Amino acid sequence: MAAPRLIMKMTVADLHRGAGDVNVIEFRHPRRSQLPTFEAGSHVDVHLPSGKVRQYSLMGDPSDLSKYVIGVKREDAGRGGSAWIHANLNVGDEVAVSAPRNHFRLHDAAKSHILLAGGIGVTPMISMARALKSEGRAFVLHFFARSRSVAPLLVDLEAEMPVGSLALHFDDEPNTALDLAEFLKDQQVGAHLYYCGPPGFMAWTRSHSAHWETGTVHFEAFQADMDPDYLPEAFTIRLNSSGRELLVPTDVSALTVLRDAGIPLLSSCENGVCGSCECGFLAGEPIHRDAVLGPEAKSNRFIPCVSRAKGQIVLDL
Amino acid sequence: MNAQNWFGELLHIHIAPAASYEMEEQSQANLIAGKGIEGDRYFLGTGTYSARPAVREVTLIEAEVLEHLEIGEPQVPGIKLSLSPADHRRNLTTRGVPLNHLVGKRFRVGDVVLRGARLNFPCKYIEELLGIPRLFESLLNRSGLNCSIEVGGIVRPGDRIVPLED
Repeated sequence: MAAPRLIMKMTVADLHRGAGDVNVIEFRHPRRSQLPTFEAGSHVDVHLPSGKVRQYSLMGDPSDLSKYVIGVKREDAGRGGSAWIHANLNVGDEVAVSAPRNHFRLHDAAKSHILLAGGIGVTPMISMARALKSEGRAFVLHFFARSRSVAPLLVDLEAEMPVGSLALHFDDEPNTALDLAEFLKDQQVGAHLYYCGPPGFMAWTRSHSAHWETGTVHFEAFQADMDPDYLPEAFTIRLNSSGRELLVPTDVSALTVLRDAGIPLLSSCENGVCGSCECGFLAGEPIHRDAVLGPEAKSNRFIPCVSRAKGQIVLDL
Repeated sequence: MNAQNWFGELLHIHIAPAASYEMEEQSQANLIAGKGIEGDRYFLGTGTYSARPAVREVTLIEAEVLEHLEIGEPQVPGIKLSLSPADHRRNLTTRGVPLNHLVGKRFRVGDVVLRGARLNFPCKYIEELLGIPRLFESLLNRSGLNCSIEVGGIVRPGDRIVPLED
């Protein structure tokens, strides 16, 4: 399991509906005037009454620790967390919210920052863009949405972002389109890429930035790793060395499948804790369920005893 | 057995509904003999803890320890920190009670009778939970006492704490 975080019973101090079916929710603490600190890119866990836990990026100003602000898009096809929040949460309600954690940090060493946000994936980018702006650092936030009218939090961004640091791309305005493959083809020296958005957007961006220098590409994907509702799904492993494909059924670990296929991997705890069976992955969308890999390692390493993937994952084996 | 020559006071009562939840201060608490504090994570079986020791029905810590941490006493380089009664995650904060000397001893908190079971051992968990570096080593040997509840009842801040004969 990941490092523990303090869970606080907080109060919904403000809640309003914005564009794109997004509720902007402000939490305050009944007794603490100063909340645990956070940085741009941080998220909190929101514990729902059903026992479900959902992660949401903090959108507020890290220098204002009187409140935490999140944006929750209603996803009717989702797993029920956002729908519950939209249907039931009201000002004055008590909600258990964890202290923040950051898996999506801005990197000080970067000379320039490219932020790519798809839809509601803009929430962590807002605090990142604000931080970069206040530090006077070079950045551009590219914001992709279906249309201007449903782009979450667009009004705030347009009001705050300096000219030239916000680029908008709407599906229904073809003249705003960005050819991501072309855009990411040549990495400028010292540039770091950050991206967050729906699964298709994540996969697309990942594939077009695969050639970027190691350690310069960062993403936030709120995955199922600590989700108590998580149900394993079957996926396939492709071995990079031979091209061989192996099916991992729902009830069998990737490690077991690899072992049965004669791939020698060390293993010990088989519980996602020791890291013995760690290997690399080259493409695909992993569902990290281990307690070993740090946020950087999660972009290219994989712990097959507990972790899984969506569709196909290419392992560096 | 020497007569124990001290008396103290209960300053604060804190419980947490589940592991990792913030402790919540109480104006009184119901201690159930052989079980724990009503509403607390260890009473409810939702706490985070090692399998041993078995006894942690109620945990105590000295306010004096918190004060020493605050002023950095004893002087260990780099160890000086602020740990509030709401954050140390023990249930009862006491003053004037020599907790480290009460392993195996009985004592009274108001009308309740406790028996010292084992010195509490700090955990890395709390250091990570609170984000206070070196908290773990700061609390070594002064992390309080785990007790069993021999006679239950209601306790309140201000209750006198006095030794009992075995």
